[in-house]
Amino acid sequence: MRRHTKLYNRIAFVAAIWLAIVLPAACGQPAAEMGAAPETQAGADSLTILDWAGYDAPEFWTQFAQAYPDVEVDYTYFEQDADALAKLQSGFQVDLLHPCSSWWGLYVDAGLVQPIDTSRLKNWPDVVPEMAKLGEFDGQQYFVPWDWGYESILVRTDKVEEIPASWADLWDPAYAGRLSIPDSAEVAQVMAAVALDIPNPWQTTPEEDALIKQKLLDIKPNVLTYWTDASELSQMMASGDVWVAASVWTDTYSQLMADGVPVEYVDPAEGRLGWVCGYGISSNAQAPDLAYAYLDAILDPESSANLSNQFYYGTSNRKAFELADPALVSLFKLDQPDVLQQTVFYQTMSAEHRQKITEMWDEVRLAP
Amino acid sequence: MRQRRWLIVLMSPLALWLGLLFLAPLATMVVFTFRAGSFGPEHDVFTLENYRTFFGNPTYSRLLLSSAWISFVASVLSILLAYPVAYYLAFQAGAHRLTLLLVIIVPAWISFLLRVFAWKLILGSGGLLNIVLMAAGLVDEPAPILLYSRSAVIVALVYSYMPFVALPIFVALQRIDRSLIEAASDLGGTGWQTFRDVILPLSMPGVAAAFFLIFIPTLGEYVTPLLLGGTEGLMFGNVIQSQFARALNWPLGSLMSLAVLLFTLALLAVFVRLVRLEDWVQA
Repeated sequence: MRRHTKLYNRIAFVAAIWLAIVLPAACGQPAAEMGAAPETQAGADSLTILDWAGYDAPEFWTQFAQAYPDVEVDYTYFEQDADALAKLQSGFQVDLLHPCSSWWGLYVDAGLVQPIDTSRLKNWPDVVPEMAKLGEFDGQQYFVPWDWGYESILVRTDKVEEIPASWADLWDPAYAGRLSIPDSAEVAQVMAAVALDIPNPWQTTPEEDALIKQKLLDIKPNVLTYWTDASELSQMMASGDVWVAASVWTDTYSQLMADGVPVEYVDPAEGRLGWVCGYGISSNAQAPDLAYAYLDAILDPESSANLSNQFYYGTSNRKAFELADPALVSLFKLDQPDVLQQTVFYQTMSAEHRQKITEMWDEVRLAP
Repeated sequence: MRQRRWLIVLMSPLALWLGLLFLAPLATMVVFTFRAGSFGPEHDVFTLENYRTFFGNPTYSRLLLSSAWISFVASVLSILLAYPVAYYLAFQAGAHRLTLLLVIIVPAWISFLLRVFAWKLILGSGGLLNIVLMAAGLVDEPAPILLYSRSAVIVALVYSYMPFVALPIFVALQRIDRSLIEAASDLGGTGWQTFRDVILPLSMPGVAAAFFLIFIPTLGEYVTPLLLGGTEGLMFGNVIQSQFARALNWPLGSLMSLAVLLFTLALLAVFVRLVRLEDWVQA
């Protein structure tokens, strides 16, 4: 789901996949044995976290550093959600992991994460219930949501005559050849479903699938190109190749504003899309107690506010916005409780559904 | 006997390399095409479902053909552009030969991604092409002309791979025995006749090598179509990427990779049958 990665990282990822396939075979060992050697002690002196690059900033977990000055926090990074799941599946040893909401169910189904006892987290009562709900499976909390953000429509106000007011407006021929949508089956599916007023894009009937596919075929004349990473999109919007872009993150918006490009971040009638990511405790965690302490440290209002100020993201802690930059809060309506009801958050998705929409998206992209 | 032992010693690093980093992965890939899932319990289930998905959906085979067409056009254009350069280097450049050869190769030192991205800047709305067209009064409003299309992909591929095409042709031309050319003109051949009947046939092995040197890697291209292809220029590498990185469907992704490999091998086999290189050399 995250696309603010660089292309060469993706290339490296493909190479990594190759290695992941090749090495176990070449060594004649089952994949599960390939992970790092397990820690010897449960009361370990280190905590291992599988995370996105950039989330290792010390101001996100100051309390943890104060409480456990001798514990070493080791970060391992991943570039895409698929990458993280593949790593865990092949037996990679971690304590905490940080995937995004639409992938959470797959970890739970595969038994890769353990239930979280939220009573052990003193900041848990401040977590927004709607987001907490996303991490709940079979009545148990498996993921602690932390960071979230919008995906919406970004418009070059100096280029278009009329600013789109809804997702459905993206189909307007006025934007012919000037629209860019992300090269992602998941986003395409949700975007089309929202425009068609289909209630649950994460579980669609065959009739709805047909409607969504046709809707996406219909938007192709408007599409100039599919964008794949945020820096590429910034360049295309700044240069004026693209006038309207779908599913843009807030950090891209603020960056273009800072560069003096006249852009508006739309509040579509159907609501903005919203991504949520959060932490789970690996089922083979070696230091579960430290993992709980770390979770509480990041959920702290101040740590959360630091995240907002640094990345222009929201956080799951209701008290954090009071401490965050006021300009940021009003820009993203972080202080308005009903904003969450209006936002369409990515729900968990089964492997079959993911496969189905990937095939659908291939057919749409490759249609003559 | 002794010689043979040495041969084995000398060959073994290469054999090990090929075996470990090419044949073993290839075998793993083939095995994966029969798996029901990337991991978990489905990992060990044997199935032909991937083959049904792949061959049951004409989108994929059509894409393989259109990708091959893009690669073919790019290869032919590169050869047409590179041949005169190689010819000049081999026959006319004289003492400057090395310097000029270096000039051709230098762009290849810059990151591949950067060079592809540069085309976005050249052809884009704020780019060189638009500045020239605006100044000439040919267009009123800047637009990404040619960009985000199949043509843009071909242009960038030709640009990226040209140096690799020029080299084998240059070497082939360089190797031509000069006395053959002299003999041709002694016998009254004009410049054109000499070229058509002597130089061109003798350089054909270089041209054939150049063709495959560009056709095979471009068929697997993924970055160039991703950045420049827009809605019509996507290539087969892009769907392979989405199976691995998005859908996490390694079995289907493996099958697609295998399909490209077999397709290329088939083309190669047909080519070798049709065009017997020895005939060219003997002609």
